Amino acid sequence: MALLQIAEPGQSTVPHDHKLAIGIDLGTTNSLVATVKSGLAETISDDKQRDILPSVVSYQENEILVGDEAKSFSISDPENTIVSAKRLIGRSLADIQTKYPSLPYQFCGDDSHPSIQTRSGTINPVQVSAQLLQHLGQRAEQALGGELTGAVITVPAYFDDAQRQSTKDAAKLAGLNVLRLLNEPTAAAVAYGLDSKQEGIIAVYDLGGGTFDISILRLNKGVFEVLATGGDSALGGDDFDQVLVDFIIERAGLSRPLSTSVERQLLEQATQTKEALSSSEIHKITVPLANGDEWQGEISKAEFEQLIQPLVSKTMRACRRALKDAEVSAADVKEVVMVGGSTRVPLVRTEAESFFKQTPLTSIDPDKVVAIGAAIQADILAGNKPDSDVLLLDVIPLSLGLETMGGLVEKVIARNTTIPVAKAQEFTTFKDGQTAMAIHVLQGERELVDDCRSLARFELHDIPPMAAGAAHIRVTFKVDADGLLAVTAMEKSTGVEASIEVKPSFGLADNEITEMLQASVANAQEDMQARMLKEQQVEAARVIESVSAALSADSHLLSTDEVADIEKVLAELAKVSQEQSADAVEAVIEKVNVKTAAFAERRMDASINKALSGHTVDDL
Amino acid sequence: MVNVNYFEIFGLEEKFSLELNTLTERYQTIQKSVHPDRFAHASNQEKLLAAKKSTLINDAYQTLKNPLSRAEYMLELRHVSLPNEQASFSDNAFLMRQMELREMLAEVKFADNVESAVFEASQVLEVEFEQHFKAMQVALIDNTEASNKQASELLRKLKFYQKLHVELDRLEDLLFDD
Repeated sequence: MALLQIAEPGQSTVPHDHKLAIGIDLGTTNSLVATVKSGLAETISDDKQRDILPSVVSYQENEILVGDEAKSFSISDPENTIVSAKRLIGRSLADIQTKYPSLPYQFCGDDSHPSIQTRSGTINPVQVSAQLLQHLGQRAEQALGGELTGAVITVPAYFDDAQRQSTKDAAKLAGLNVLRLLNEPTAAAVAYGLDSKQEGIIAVYDLGGGTFDISILRLNKGVFEVLATGGDSALGGDDFDQVLVDFIIERAGLSRPLSTSVERQLLEQATQTKEALSSSEIHKITVPLANGDEWQGEISKAEFEQLIQPLVSKTMRACRRALKDAEVSAADVKEVVMVGGSTRVPLVRTEAESFFKQTPLTSIDPDKVVAIGAAIQADILAGNKPDSDVLLLDVIPLSLGLETMGGLVEKVIARNTTIPVAKAQEFTTFKDGQTAMAIHVLQGERELVDDCRSLARFELHDIPPMAAGAAHIRVTFKVDADGLLAVTAMEKSTGVEASIEVKPSFGLADNEITEMLQASVANAQEDMQARMLKEQQVEAARVIESVSAALSADSHLLSTDEVADIEKVLAELAKVSQEQSADAVEAVIEKVNVKTAAFAERRMDASINKALSGHTVDDL
Repeated sequence: MVNVNYFEIFGLEEKFSLELNTLTERYQTIQKSVHPDRFAHASNQEKLLAAKKSTLINDAYQTLKNPLSRAEYMLELRHVSLPNEQASFSDNAFLMRQMELREMLAEVKFADNVESAVFEASQVLEVEFEQHFKAMQVALIDNTEASNKQASELLRKLKFYQKLHVELDRLEDLLFDD
C-alpha cells in the first residue's frame, strides 16, 4: 500500500501545478488565442491547423456558425452574418448608423441597447463577441486538455468605458474568467519587450482592419508604462479596401447602388489588390459588368499609394499628437513596434520609418504579436511566474467628467492618467431647497456635453433641503486596473450618505447578463445554482490558499491568539466549502475577510517597506 | 494609510526640489508589490486592498511628479490655504499682462509665418513662467508664514500661465492638424 502524503505545515496541499491561462486578441476582422507552453508563447490552432479565426458569426436556421464556416455566409446571407461586431460593441444605435451607414443588418432595440434582428432572434453585439470568445476558449481547453484558470483579453487602447465594459460582459457570457483587459499596443510591447530587456521610449503603431492605435510606452526595468495613447477607433485597413473599391467603381464606369454581392466581389478584389501591391508594382483587376461583359484594368502601386496617402497621413498626425501628450519627441523613441496586418502595406512602413527616423520592428508576425503578448501576461497573472518582474501601468485613454450648468463638461479625471485611479470633486445645489441632483457622466475631450460620449445618468435623491450652494455633493470616480469606471455620489455636509454605483448605459445590466447566461445554449444544462456554488467554492479555495500562504510567510505580524483565530475560521471555511450551499460558503468567506482585514493591510504595508528598503540597499 | 504623507510613502525628504528619477524608481518599486495585477489570482479581499493601495500610490506619485501640484500639496501640508479660482485678484499689473498674452495668442493665427509665431509665443510664455516658478521655489524653501503666502500667490499666477500654455497647445493642434 502506498504511503499517505502529508504536506509541510503552512504549505498548500495542492501540488504546485501549472495553471492554464490564455491570451485572446479579439480583433475587428480576425481573432486569435495564444498560450505559454514550456516557457514559449504560441498561438493555438484549431483541428485544421488554422490559428486565425475570422471575427464572423452567422446565425443559421438551427445552428450558430463561427469563424471560417461563418465567413462564406457573409456574401450569401449578409443580414444574418455579423462581421466586425467589434465596431458595434458598446455603441449607441445612432452612433453606429452615422459611422457605418451601409451595414446590411436589421437593427432593432432602443438607442442605448441596439440589437440585430436575425433568423435566430434578436442578437446583441455583446453576444456576437461572446460567441467568438467562447469558440476560442473551447479551442484552448481542447488543445491544452484542462479547465482554464483565466484569460487576458485585449482591447484597443482607445476603447472608451462602455466598449471595455461590454467586452468584459461578453467574456462573462462566454464563461471566461477575465484576469485583465489589456490594451493591444501594451500587449505587443510585452511580446517584444520581455525577450530583449530594453529601456527607453517605445512607440507601438497598430493598424488593424478597423482600428488604429498609437501608444507611447516607457520601458524601464520590467515596468511598462503607457505614457500616452491616441488613434482613431474607426480607421483601418478596411478603409484602404474601401477607397480601392470606390476607385475601381469609378474606373470601370459603374454606378451605385450596386447589389450586395457585387459590392462584396469588389471588396474581395480590392483586398487582393492591396495584398498584391505589397510585393509587386502593378496588379490586374477583372470586374463583371451588369450586361454580362467584363471590365479589365490595372492599378499601379503608385496609384494605390496616392489613394491611401490621406489615410496614412492621418495616422501620422495621431502619432505626432501622442508624442506631444507623452512629452517626448520622435528622436526620443528607441523602438517602433508594428502591429496589425495593415502594417504590411509598404507605404505604412516607409511613412512610419520617416516619421520616427528608424526601421520599425516587424520580426514577430504583426497578426499574432498582440495575442502572444496577451498570453505572456496571462501566464504571469495566473500565478505561473511568481518571480516575474513585469508590471504594466496603463492610463485611461479619454477624459472622464460630469455635466455642469449650461451643458458644459467638468473634467474629473484627465486622459492619460495612470490607473487605477480615484478622484473626487465637490458640487453644490443650484436652487434653494433642492433635494435631488441629476448626475450625467461623460467621456471625451471636448467642452460641450453634446460633443462627448454619454456614459451614464443617475439621480441622487434625499438631499436635505438647504439654501442654494450649501449642500456639498461629493462625486467620486473610480477607474480600476482594467480601465472600468464606477461613480458614486454622496451628500456629505449633513452626514447623510446616499450613494449609487453606475454602469455605462451602453453595457448590459447585470440582470441582463444573468438572463442571457440562463438562456444561452451552452449553459442550458448547467443549473445556475450549481454555477453559483462553483464560483463560491473557487473563491473559497483562493482565500484558503492565499491566507495560508500569508500565515506561513508573515505570521510574525500577528499574535499567537490571532493566528489561532484565523486558522480556526480557515478550517471552518474548508469544511463548509465541501458542502452544497453557496450562501453558507459566501458567509464564511466574509467571516475570514473580516478576521484577516487588518492582517492583509499590515502585510501590504510591510511589503511596501520591504520593497523600498531593498531598494535603498541597491542604491548604496 | 489614511492620512499618510506622500513624501514619506516614497521615503523622501519633504522638500520642493526632488530627484525625479528617484521618485519614479521608488514609485515603480512600490507599484510592483501592490498593483492589482499581482493579485489577479488572489482572493477578492486582497484584490480590493491592492486596488486601494495602488490608487493611493498613483495619486501620491502624480501629485509629487508635477511641480505645481507638488507645490500645492506642500502648501496644504503647511496649512496654507490657496485662494480659490474665482476670488478676485489684487495684482492689476499681472492681470494686464495676462490680457496682453491672451491677445498675443489670438493674433498667432493671423501671423505671416504661423509656425514661428507659435514658437515665439511659447518662448514668451516659458520665460515668464520660469521667472514666477523660480520665485515660488525660493518662497517655498524659506518656509515662513509670509513666504508661504507669497508662494501660494505665485502658484496661482503659475496656473494662469499653465492655462495659456494649454491654449497654445490647442491652437497648435488646430493650426497644424486637420
